[in-house]
Formats: sequence, structure tokens, C-alpha cells
Amino acid sequence: MADSILKRIALGNRDAVSDCLDTYGGLVWSIARKMLRSQNDAEDAVQEIFIDIWKNAERFDENQSSETTFIAMIARRRIIDRIRKSNRRISADSFEDVLSEPESRGDRKIEISVEAGEAAEALRTLKPEQQQVLQLSIVQGLSHQEIADVTGMPLGTVKTHARRGILQAREMLGITGIGKEASI
Amino acid sequence: MSEREERLLDLLEKRTFDGLTPAEERELSELNATDDVSLDLTAAAISLAQLEKVEPMPAQLRSRIESAADEYFTQKVSQSGSTRTVRESNAGWWNWFGWALAGAACIALAANIYLTRVNPPLAAGPGPTPTPAPVQITPEQQRAQLLASAPDIAKANISAGKESYVPSGDIVWSDTNQAGYIHVKGLPKNDPGHEQYQLWIFDESQDPKTPIDGGVFDVNSEGEVVIPIDAKIKVKNPKVFAITVEKPGGVVVSKQEKVAALAKVETNPS
Repeated sequence: MADSILKRIALGNRDAVSDCLDTYGGLVWSIARKMLRSQNDAEDAVQEIFIDIWKNAERFDENQSSETTFIAMIARRRIIDRIRKSNRRISADSFEDVLSEPESRGDRKIEISVEAGEAAEALRTLKPEQQQVLQLSIVQGLSHQEIADVTGMPLGTVKTHARRGILQAREMLGITGIGKEASI
Repeated sequence: MSEREERLLDLLEKRTFDGLTPAEERELSELNATDDVSLDLTAAAISLAQLEKVEPMPAQLRSRIESAADEYFTQKVSQSGSTRTVRESNAGWWNWFGWALAGAACIALAANIYLTRVNPPLAAGPGPTPTPAPVQITPEQQRAQLLASAPDIAKANISAGKESYVPSGDIVWSDTNQAGYIHVKGLPKNDPGHEQYQLWIFDESQDPKTPIDGGVFDVNSEGEVVIPIDAKIKVKNPKVFAITVEKPGGVVVSKQEKVAALAKVETNPS
């Protein structure tokens, strides 16, 4: 069986980078465009993300996740870091736009990885408020405070929905880690 | 859950949702839990599940990343002193070939200059008057010429419309020349057989309900385009430009259902 793209990158195979861009370039770009509202920010972030991917390629464990999910994780981390460092706050004008995002797009979802399909299933089992908080936080990159501002929920409620929601989703995805949903 | 576990979960959750400060990173490291990526992977899977579509990466961005990769892997190889990568070994040959080609071109150029100066071609009587080849000027160059020559440039920076994407760039217009250009990046690629972008010009001569049609245009996968404005009637002192998404060929009156971008004139000579 051929080595994964990330394994080839970890071995220093420069050509695997082109394969990585062919396979995951659009995916990383789309995640960045979704979470960062400025095109220039997204471009800079994507370049940094791919450098992070090369640096962290050897950490990829195919027993833990698919390559796609691992790359999406690195992308999210870098984007969140950029958002945090820029101290970005969405403007009041964009609240309406953020909330006008349809809550459920069901059939329009594309199945990018096995985990993504399972995550979509897991999301459907969550309470609507938990779904909303996770969607605003994970997909649109809003902080808990921003979610509280946008939705009108108390900050503590937002945090509770976020924690319970992500722990429950993790459990349904069969990913092991500290903390059990039931103990919250 | 123990106090330590509770704190650990706080940090892992914060890393997943908001990112950690350097101090929190250190704290997580001291708790020997930086490798617990379970929440990060869960969030990544959710973000993939919520992705509606995958757009192609802009070509110029890919070029930047490929260049960064060359630099990164060259440094990595030089630091590790290990065997050269496949691309590098090929690059060496290509570098040699490039220099050889450049050298040959220089020799050919020098020879050509020498021969044409020392032995100018003999006059062979009047020949046909050469027709100058038509000069192809790109829209970018046309825009630059307009900016350099027009005395009355109105300029408007492009901002987001009602869609989720955030385009940037500017629109310039000259009343004197009755010409202008849209320079925009960040609009999604369109399928011309399905829909096209259409520019609308709100000026002082028209009722805002019936802005001037500025023509239709397409955006390719590179996402950055310079388009000449094709105003259907005379424009006078434009105030605002709007870009909508319409059926192929455009419409006479837009319902403004999909406003892709707006641009308010900030610099107006009048």
C-alpha cells in the first residue's frame, strides 16, 4: 500500500507537497474562507497552515483520524490562533449575516471524510442550542463571548452548550480523550 | 473528575474553541497533555461536516505556497544534511539547464548585435511599408493608462454585499473619458452558462431605482480580475457601484437578490 501524503512529506519528499496541495488545497482554502472574512487574511493563513502541515506531518497517526481530518485540525488551529492574535471582533453589522446562516443544510453537505459524515450524524443528535453554538464557534470562528453577543444567550450558557456538545460529539465519533460527557 | 482533570479539560476545550495564550500553552505542556487532540479532531470533523462546498485555491496562492515549500525543504535538507529530495535533484538539473540556455541566448544576442552593426543589411530598394503589429494592451495596462491620464478619476473601494464572501479591490471611473475599470478579488468563480456578475452604476443623472447597466463579466478560478466597464448610457458623477449576480447576459432591471459587492465613491473630482 502506498504511503500517505503526510508520511511522504514527513520523509522529506518535496513532490508530496504538490500532491498535498492538489488533494487538500481547496479544502483548506474553503475552511479559511469560511472562518476568516477577509480574503487577504485567508490567503496568509492558508500559507501558514501548509507550512504547519509540513512541520507536523510526522505527527499524523492514521489509527487516530483520517488524513483529511488531521489537516482540517491543523487548519483550524492556525486560523483560531490568527483570530485570537488579531483580537478580531465581528462588527454589529455582520451579526445579521451570521445569524442568517441556515441552521441545517442537510443534503447540501459534502462528505469529505468518514469522520465528517459521522460528525454530521452526531450533530443531528445534539440539542438545537448545542448545534447552534458549535456551528457558530467551530465553523464560523466566533468566540464564546461573540456567540453570547450574537444569540443573546448568557455567556455561561454558551460555554455549557459548547462543552456538552463537543464532548457528546466526541463520544459519538469514538475518539478517546479526557473527560466524559456524562460527567458534565 | 479531579481538579487536575477539570483544569485540563478547560485548557483543551479553550484550545479547540478559542486558542491558548502562551502561558496556557505552557500550563498544558506541564500537565503533559498537549498530545490529547481528541477535542481538536472532533471540532475538525464537525467543521468538515458543515462545509457546504470546496472552492479551488487561487492559483497565485498555490504558487506562493509552492515557493515556500521549496524554501522550507531546502532549509530542512541543509539542516539535516540528509539526502536531497526528489524535487531538489531535478531542480539542480533544471538550474544547470536554465543557466546553459541563458548563456546560449546571451551569446546569440551578442552575435546578432555584432553582425547587424558591422554588416548592416544592404539596401534593396524600397520595400513594402511594414504594418505595425497591433499592440495588445491588457485591461490592467488600460486601467493604469486611464489612471495616469484622466483628469477626473472617481474611485470607490469594493466592500462586501449581501453574500457571505468578502471581495476587495476598487472601481475607477472617468466622466471625461467615459471609461472605467473594476479591479476585484475575492468573488467566487462563476459558471458563465449559469450566471454572470453584472455591474450597476448609481450616478446623479439617474433615479436610484434605475441604475445604469455597467455590463456583465466573469470571474475565473484565480479570483482576481480587471474588467473594463461597459456603461450602456452616459455616466455623470457616479456615487455608488453595485455588483449583482444575474442570469447569463445580464438583466435590464435587477431584483438585487444576490448583491455580490458594493463600492461607494470616496474620491470624486467634482
